[in-house]
Amino acid sequence: MATVAASKPENKLRLLLLEEKGAGQDPMVWEMDYDGQTLPGDPRHSPEKLHEWLAAKKIGPAESHPHAEAQMARQLEELARSNRELEQFASIASHDLREPLRMVATYTQLLAERYRGKLDKSADQYIDYAADGALRMQALVQDLLALSRVNSGNQPHQAVDGNVVMAEVLRDLEPAIRESNAVVQCAKLPVIRTNRANLWQLFQNLVSNAIKFHGQEAPNVSIKAVPAGPLWQFSIIDNGIGIARESHETIFGVFQRLHTRAEYPGNGVGLAICRKVVETYGGTIWVDSQLGSGSTFNFTLPAQEAQES
Amino acid sequence: MNQSPEILVVDDNPADITLVRESLAETVYQSHVHCTSDANHALEYLQRQGKYRTTVRPDLVLLDLNLAERNGHKVLSLMKSDAELRQIPVVAFSSSASVADITRSYEAGANCYVTKPADLKRFFSAVRAIEEFWFGYAVLPRRESNERPSYTNSAD
Repeated sequence: MATVAASKPENKLRLLLLEEKGAGQDPMVWEMDYDGQTLPGDPRHSPEKLHEWLAAKKIGPAESHPHAEAQMARQLEELARSNRELEQFASIASHDLREPLRMVATYTQLLAERYRGKLDKSADQYIDYAADGALRMQALVQDLLALSRVNSGNQPHQAVDGNVVMAEVLRDLEPAIRESNAVVQCAKLPVIRTNRANLWQLFQNLVSNAIKFHGQEAPNVSIKAVPAGPLWQFSIIDNGIGIARESHETIFGVFQRLHTRAEYPGNGVGLAICRKVVETYGGTIWVDSQLGSGSTFNFTLPAQEAQES
Repeated sequence: MNQSPEILVVDDNPADITLVRESLAETVYQSHVHCTSDANHALEYLQRQGKYRTTVRPDLVLLDLNLAERNGHKVLSLMKSDAELRQIPVVAFSSSASVADITRSYEAGANCYVTKPADLKRFFSAVRAIEEFWFGYAVLPRRESNERPSYTNSAD
């Protein structure tokens, strides 16, 4: 466990990088712990946001300890820099992995094509395993890249009409909707302050999950949004297989899957992308669900007027 | 076209060169595929200098832009600033899908940009589609008859 010492020992304020926080947890979570209170989040919390949080909790380092604030500012700056490096690392790693991976994937496919039936049964099987593994790794790298690209710093915040983006998403999901006889109802959605591509990712992942994870019955999905102070709260409600309480947090981690690929295909990155998008814009995402009785995925995003600055 | 098309592949990855050769091995066009693995050899080949004095000027160049030191771009810009070589269509064939690389290639005069597919079947069909388009549909500048010396199979 690596500790980033934004620590004011008197107040036991710590910023931790939890490399491994037990089974099923997102391996890279930043947490701020102040006398048992926790700011959940991840590397994108800006120093400003952390300061705001401290102010809201009435933790004012400046009053009691003149040196503490300067020290903390420095450490938060350090944290922000290390976060930027982490983002770059993910992006570079996935870019540079793609090229050698393409060699492995194409040549195992070529082996399979040219030598199937010419070696022995085991050899055919081994080649298939290798080819399958390479293909899956390509999909994983692709998804990691998508995850690392969610970054508010690179994308302008703008007024985005939720109805327009949702209509696009539903048009793209038309084949899946038809195939599963899904009924999707969408109430009028607000205009919010976000980024169009990010909102598309968010809607796309949540609605396609709502369709994908269905039981015996055909999927029935409804989408709505209600105002919640300076935010809008969106809900995507389905009648699917539901999620057990103990998994409500872990499903938002990277590469977290509750089912085998044979049951439900996917890499377990969709909800991690959703969380990253939502938190990038200062919102939160959570699920209300019970095993066997549908799920409601909720998230909040700032209303259009909320952050004009 | 009653003589076989001449294609120059410029790529420093032997695995990709093999895949391109495999892609074109059994097509109806029977293209002659020549390969060079760096910018200097590519330019010597195109200008028919040094050991390439007897080669035929290619009808099409398949150019990997990610050569060492980004020299693929150098080959492209030198070709497109040469009065004769600029007539030869250049297909940028690269593993990069970045908007910056794509834009830069078209700005430098690439005739088209194709990202190397990561799937074998798509790789084969992409290379065959390039051959099919340039030699089955597109009309190219006529090759002068004296530009067809005896065919030497140079592959390096």
